[in-house]
Amino acid sequence: MNAKVHSELRAIVGDRGIVDSPTRIVPYESDGLAILRQRPELVLLPRTTEETAACMQVLHREGVPIVPRGAGTGLAGGATPVEGGVVIGLARMREVLELNVEDRFARVQAGLVNASLTRACEKHDLFYAPDPSSQRACTLGGNIAANSGGPHCFKYGNTTQHVLGLVIVTHDGEVLELTESDVEPLGYDLVGLFVGSEGTFGIATEIKLRLVRRPPVVETLLAIFTDLDSACETATKMIARRLEPSAIEILDKLTIQAVEDSVFAAGYPREAGAVLLTEVEGLEEEVSATSEDIRAIFSECGAIEVRTARDDAERLSLWAGRKGAFGAMGRVAPDLYVADACVPRTKLGAMVQQTVEIAKELNLRLATVFHAGDGNLHPNICYDRRDQDEVRRVLEAGRRILESCVDAGGSLSGEHGVGLEKLEQMEYQFAAEDLATMCLVRDVWDPDRRLNPGKLIPLRACMETRAAFIGKTPQDIAR
Amino acid sequence: MSPAKIRTSEELVDYAATLDCIHCGLCLETCPTYQLTGVETSSPRGRIHLMRAVAENNLVPDDAYRDEMEFCLVCRHCESVCPAGVRMGEMMSVARDSMHEDAPRSLGVRLARWLGFRVLLPNRAALRISGSLLRFAQKSGLLRWLAEHSPVAREQFAALAALPTVAPANLRRMLPARSPAIGSHSSSQTSVVSMFEGCVMPELYSQVNRATETVLTRLGAEVCTNPAAVCCGALHAHNGDLAGARSLAQKLINAYEPRESTEDSASTPIVVNSAGCSAHMKELAHLFDSADPWHARAEALAKRIVDFSEYVAPRLAEEQPDLRLDLSAPITWDNPCHLCHGQSIREQPLDILRSIDFGSNAFVELEGSESCCGSAGIYSALRPQDSADILDPKLDALKDSGAKLLITSNPGCQMQWQSGIRRRGLDVEVKHLAEVLDDALSRSVPESELDANERGE
Ligand SMILES: Cc1cc2nc3c(=O)[nH]c(=O)nc-3n(C[C@H](O)[C@H](O)[C@H](O)COP(=O)(O)OP(=O)(O)OC[C@H]3O[C@@H](n4cnc5c(N)ncnc54)[C@H](O)[C@@H]3O)c2cc1C
Ligand code: SF4
Ligand code: SF4
Repeated sequence: MNAKVHSELRAIVGDRGIVDSPTRIVPYESDGLAILRQRPELVLLPRTTEETAACMQVLHREGVPIVPRGAGTGLAGGATPVEGGVVIGLARMREVLELNVEDRFARVQAGLVNASLTRACEKHDLFYAPDPSSQRACTLGGNIAANSGGPHCFKYGNTTQHVLGLVIVTHDGEVLELTESDVEPLGYDLVGLFVGSEGTFGIATEIKLRLVRRPPVVETLLAIFTDLDSACETATKMIARRLEPSAIEILDKLTIQAVEDSVFAAGYPREAGAVLLTEVEGLEEEVSATSEDIRAIFSECGAIEVRTARDDAERLSLWAGRKGAFGAMGRVAPDLYVADACVPRTKLGAMVQQTVEIAKELNLRLATVFHAGDGNLHPNICYDRRDQDEVRRVLEAGRRILESCVDAGGSLSGEHGVGLEKLEQMEYQFAAEDLATMCLVRDVWDPDRRLNPGKLIPLRACMETRAAFIGKTPQDIAR
Repeated sequence: MSPAKIRTSEELVDYAATLDCIHCGLCLETCPTYQLTGVETSSPRGRIHLMRAVAENNLVPDDAYRDEMEFCLVCRHCESVCPAGVRMGEMMSVARDSMHEDAPRSLGVRLARWLGFRVLLPNRAALRISGSLLRFAQKSGLLRWLAEHSPVAREQFAALAALPTVAPANLRRMLPARSPAIGSHSSSQTSVVSMFEGCVMPELYSQVNRATETVLTRLGAEVCTNPAAVCCGALHAHNGDLAGARSLAQKLINAYEPRESTEDSASTPIVVNSAGCSAHMKELAHLFDSADPWHARAEALAKRIVDFSEYVAPRLAEEQPDLRLDLSAPITWDNPCHLCHGQSIREQPLDILRSIDFGSNAFVELEGSESCCGSAGIYSALRPQDSADILDPKLDALKDSGAKLLITSNPGCQMQWQSGIRRRGLDVEVKHLAEVLDDALSRSVPESELDANERGE
């Protein structure tokens, strides 16, 4: 891109909307997965859909690759820039455009931070349900792109169940409005298709989201165990007996200790082998009945203590501890690799065993937290990225953990998406034909492959489909 | 000014501390400069990323780097939410120190820094004279003229012009060396406390110091002041003059170390009514290497430091005086960053305010009362535009709250609010917590208990 294009873009977004100094651009080189780094050529921070579209038109004309970015909390390298590419950041698009209390929805700009939406509507007794642990920082646009989950998604469902409509800017700068009919979807569910597309279909600029009524009664329970196995067994039993808490989360010993050392110390007992945090919501009778059943399982599985949050403050503190767990691991080592493994819930215990063995074999320090309700576990591996050999072992552990998930009938990703991190394993989970079909869909949205190129679907698969289509070999295409 | 020593790139920043950051991003939303710009580089995570890049030779410090470091308010809000325990305040002190040593600065800037940091702040006589000069410049209109017409430093003169009017010299006198406790008290023995008067407080906010002293004596403390303690060096440490900060720390330690000639014993609490100073004094040991004997002496001093609200709240709870202050409009509280984020003091000021019956005028909450007002020491003078932009959303919140009296407990914040309120044309008064409590106490203490000295005021 030459200076003329730079100034054309600057004219669109204004001086404060462009980051092009070689120094200022440095922190954009990675997202939450800091081992992957690539400095972009330019960062643009538009304020509106129109500005975004105008930028996209210029970049389309110039054939420049684009990486969308929300808050950069993604853990799979989805927002890692590409060489010579432009990052379009949504961080300045954080207005609540409409709050409709009667019909319970909000229209927001895509850069609004997840927790800000709940803050904006809580005085009406409403909240936005998907609550990734990063909710105080991550953007709703990023949530859409990754179809993010969170502890309470066990009850309320992942992001996709809460999206009613989108305004997107396409690869060539066109603005499209995609709406989901509230009653019965008519025609193709394009919103559903867009959610989880990790920035490869377009940039979401405005989002219409469902809001949920606050439950009248909430009870938060913390069960303390001497070992991790019993905690996992408890979760499995809770689900087998069809109890319906809104969340079931487990933290292991190392995680507990890190959290207790941090500003989010929640009073989890340091000597515990594991804690299980669960919440029951609903009407008074419902809640007390369910919580009684849950307590019975706790004692069956050998919980040494069960605590109930006495008030909102204590409830929030128990959750803040859980949500600060990733960051608290910063006390253990400079870097943390968060694997995002998902298995059928009955296999949770076996999967834990396997991750422990993998870590032991590769001589790595492991701490695990679980969204146990969803069969989603995050084996967190502590490392120091300056140690090349350790990085190699971490990546190997990551690969092996994901492959064992697939082998166990699970999935590559519970909620963090594929990004750059899991590209290779996509080929482990999917047959070549499946990947080729995905490429065909992708090509409809982005025929030039300039939107988040090299993410989500392995390049090889893409090249093969295209070659088949136009009768050329992948080698020809690569050239 | 000592000659710059050559530093390796790892020494340009606190490299080990940068490794604490795990890149989770949980701090982003709390950072006022990220709020303002939406730029990752102007966030805590972004700044640490830059520092680490410098240490690892992936980035050569340039003007853009220095500007990002100076854009930070050192409000430490990020520390309050960082699960990894990042210490931004300390990291910024190191990064800025190396910047000021290494960067070529204009003669004017170097001269101003030297005059301010090395001549004015550490020296009571110079402070007193400056107080009088400032009063003259304010009264005569000279300052206003300079703010509009000066060929140099016009923004800085404007910042000076925005300062509160300096009181006449007879009201700016220092506190007496000892003030006895007033009245009878439920605690078995009255205690002795040492009160830190501060560098600019006696010049700009002498009434706050007097209120602090009266409150302490009314709560049963005998209050001593220490003329050898002048400036704590917080401004130096935050603004890239670690050598200056160390030397002032040593003076302070010397001043307060127990010896026959002073009232101070190893356990006498030192009450500080400026949150920025109390925060810094509690962390004084950070300035010295742990092997340095000064480190232990600094720690001993730090143990004695208590913020005004921290000292007062439990005593008030014990005494339970009947406090009433009928005001005509609602009041609100804005927590200084270095109180809530620097010292985790959140409940004590609220407890104090809750102990006062404000009549029908309820206490209203100020939205974002833990976010920075943009004062940030001398930031408001160094970067007036950014400082005003950061205050703007808080002024909106103040207006929405409907409060007519805003209470805080740090002189910088008090000034920043006063000038912002004037700029907006709002009708809100700003007071220090001690002033409000003093008002309430003076109305509840029977006249007979006031000693002559008190009534003479
Ligand atoms: C401490 C911590 C805890 C976390 N906990 C959870 C959790 O509980 N559950 C969970 O699911 N995830 C979790 N994550 C991962 C991450 O927060 C989520 O993936 C989140 O949705 C990312 O949002 P973001 O705004 O940071 O997006 P980014 O990281 O900036 O981007 C993520 C992806 O979305 C794309 N994208 C961003 N904005 C847009 C847009 N407007 N239009 C199109 N594409 C876009 C990017 O290109 C990228 O591919 C956690 C991360 C951290 C650091
Ligand atoms: S919260 Fe702490 S660990 Fe997380 S990015 Fe911010 S400074 Fe780093
Ligand atoms: S100290 Fe304040 S301004 Fe500086 S990075 Fe932290 S939150 Fe931002």
